[in-house]
Amino acid sequence: MRTPSRPMAALSLTVATALAVSACGGDTTAEASSESAEVTVAHAQGETAVPADPQTVVVFDVGVLSTLDSLGVEVAGVPEATYPESLAQYGGDEYAKVGSLFEPDYEAVDALEPDLIVVGGRSAAVYPELAEIAPTIDLTVDNGDFLASFEERVTTLAEVFGEEDAVADRLAALDQRVAEVRETAAGAGDALFVMTNAGEVSAYGPETRFGMVYSELGLTPTDEALTAADHGDAISFEYIAEKDPDILLVLDRDAAIGESGTAAQQVLDNELVRGTTAWQDDDVHHLDSSVWYIAPNGLPSVEQMVEEVAAAVE
Amino acid sequence: MTRTTGRRSGVAPAPRGQVRRRRGVQRWHVAAALATLVLAALASLFVGVGDLTPADLLDPDEAQARVLWTSRVPRLLAILLAGSAMAVAGLVMMHLTRNRFVSPQTAGTTEWVGLGIVVATLSFGGASVLGKMVIGVVFALAGTALFVWLLQRMVLTDVVVVPLVGILLGGVVSAAATFLAYRFDLLQTVDVWMNGDFSGVLAGRYELLWLVLAATVVAYLWADRFSVAGMGESFAINLGVAYTRVVMVGLAIASVVTAIVVVSVGSIPFLGLVVPNLVTLAMGDDLRRVLPVTALTGAAFVLVCDVLARTVRYPYEVPVGMIGGVVGGVLFIWLLLRARKRAL
Repeated sequence: MRTPSRPMAALSLTVATALAVSACGGDTTAEASSESAEVTVAHAQGETAVPADPQTVVVFDVGVLSTLDSLGVEVAGVPEATYPESLAQYGGDEYAKVGSLFEPDYEAVDALEPDLIVVGGRSAAVYPELAEIAPTIDLTVDNGDFLASFEERVTTLAEVFGEEDAVADRLAALDQRVAEVRETAAGAGDALFVMTNAGEVSAYGPETRFGMVYSELGLTPTDEALTAADHGDAISFEYIAEKDPDILLVLDRDAAIGESGTAAQQVLDNELVRGTTAWQDDDVHHLDSSVWYIAPNGLPSVEQMVEEVAAAVE
Repeated sequence: MTRTTGRRSGVAPAPRGQVRRRRGVQRWHVAAALATLVLAALASLFVGVGDLTPADLLDPDEAQARVLWTSRVPRLLAILLAGSAMAVAGLVMMHLTRNRFVSPQTAGTTEWVGLGIVVATLSFGGASVLGKMVIGVVFALAGTALFVWLLQRMVLTDVVVVPLVGILLGGVVSAAATFLAYRFDLLQTVDVWMNGDFSGVLAGRYELLWLVLAATVVAYLWADRFSVAGMGESFAINLGVAYTRVVMVGLAIASVVTAIVVVSVGSIPFLGLVVPNLVTLAMGDDLRRVLPVTALTGAAFVLVCDVLARTVRYPYEVPVGMIGGVVGGVLFIWLLLRARKRAL
């Protein structure tokens, strides 16, 4: 899976970065002109000096892509993926494809001669390899401290592209909205977050990738014991019936990856789930799968996710 | 190597061991095994997240009746059907290829089904379960036929070469399936399909599994023919058995059963390999005698694995395929060590 490393490129990049960093450090008092040439940003895997307002950008994380899209930033390369409807144009041929969500096509990346590469989540593991090609930043969001971490990453991205003001306004509005939802959610009963995958179901707890519905949006978890496992805990329909959640949030993984075989509606429409409070009160909410599953860390995505939960707790 | 050969030649012509072993299993043993299976099956009805005790059976409330009839009973039936049929499929393949190490999992049949499922999903945009099953059956039949065709064209010097060919073939096929799945972002989905798991079984979602019962019954009715065919082509023809047809039917049974089970609940490793070997080891090679016990043992094996799968991380589930891999793997190693000692 690993590509052969390129010692010379690595070396020259290290030297270049070192020079750049030392240059920056050398004249901290420099005026705006030299500052605009390069920005040093802190990210999930260290600090990287990136050119300010980079022209050729390669993005591996669809969440980051959605943020850039909403900021009107043009990107050059994107991964081959099932894009949410709002980002459907990136699936087309006019955007160079640079590999999958997990694994870059290094030659395609190299051929674009990017000024900046952004990874995150699924692509975080290939950061070292990509960093050899061009300045790379990892905008992975920490699910244990979702909102703070997410806002930090979005702000970082805004700094690189000089969009701080617009983003700060939207984040303030988002915080406001989150506070409102929290208030409503507190009295909305307990909730269970499940994902259906090829006819089987798993549940997600407070520390997982979808844990923000509990930790940030204030829903009460039906089951506190759920672990932080990346792909949730496999459950049976009996489990759903027995735990009897007041609200059932449903993510259809098959829909998220563009498969339509066994839709979540169909999977959950059985006697056991029909007996739950959530089903009887019409509180089974099917979430926008591709936003939650493919692009959960983008600014427009989180705005939408908050609204979806708001609709569920009203 | 020489030691093993020496032992084998030393033991093979001595029927005493065989006879004693055969005498070792008596009717009441089978009855006891059957009783154990029934008890385990009953126990399985009361293991689960929903609240249901044997006492509740007398007067179940609405929720308990729902749990029993939509979840527990269908799950038990699915386990019994899949377990017995896969073990019998392994037994039939073992006899027809005259090799103890050939089973749907070592002949590449399972991998062919996997490829079939991927192709079905890609070409028919999320085909229905029935669609996946039909294409799975077609791929399993073609793949198993290819395996046998290869065997007939190879000079086999060692019994181990046969399953090795199957495993190699399976590896190639599974690589093709993985490549396709990778290209079309289906890797994790294929994982879920292939890994045996009864957690999705509900009334209305497993009924196609009943088809394997028909296949198992046919296997039993044809048991003597498979026995004769297992003795070799010329021998079978001399006895007036249509060798090619019998072999085709046998392999078709194994392929169809594998495809239906894998599409319905996924693959349970070692089931078709370890169970027939264990039973044959205890009861000898008479297919007609061994087949019913193999079916019962296969059902019991899956039953035990699934109860474990439900309890290991209670109230969450662990795929039964994983438990089966561990339990079956341990049994298989034990079998190999024992074979060394006893010269299987």
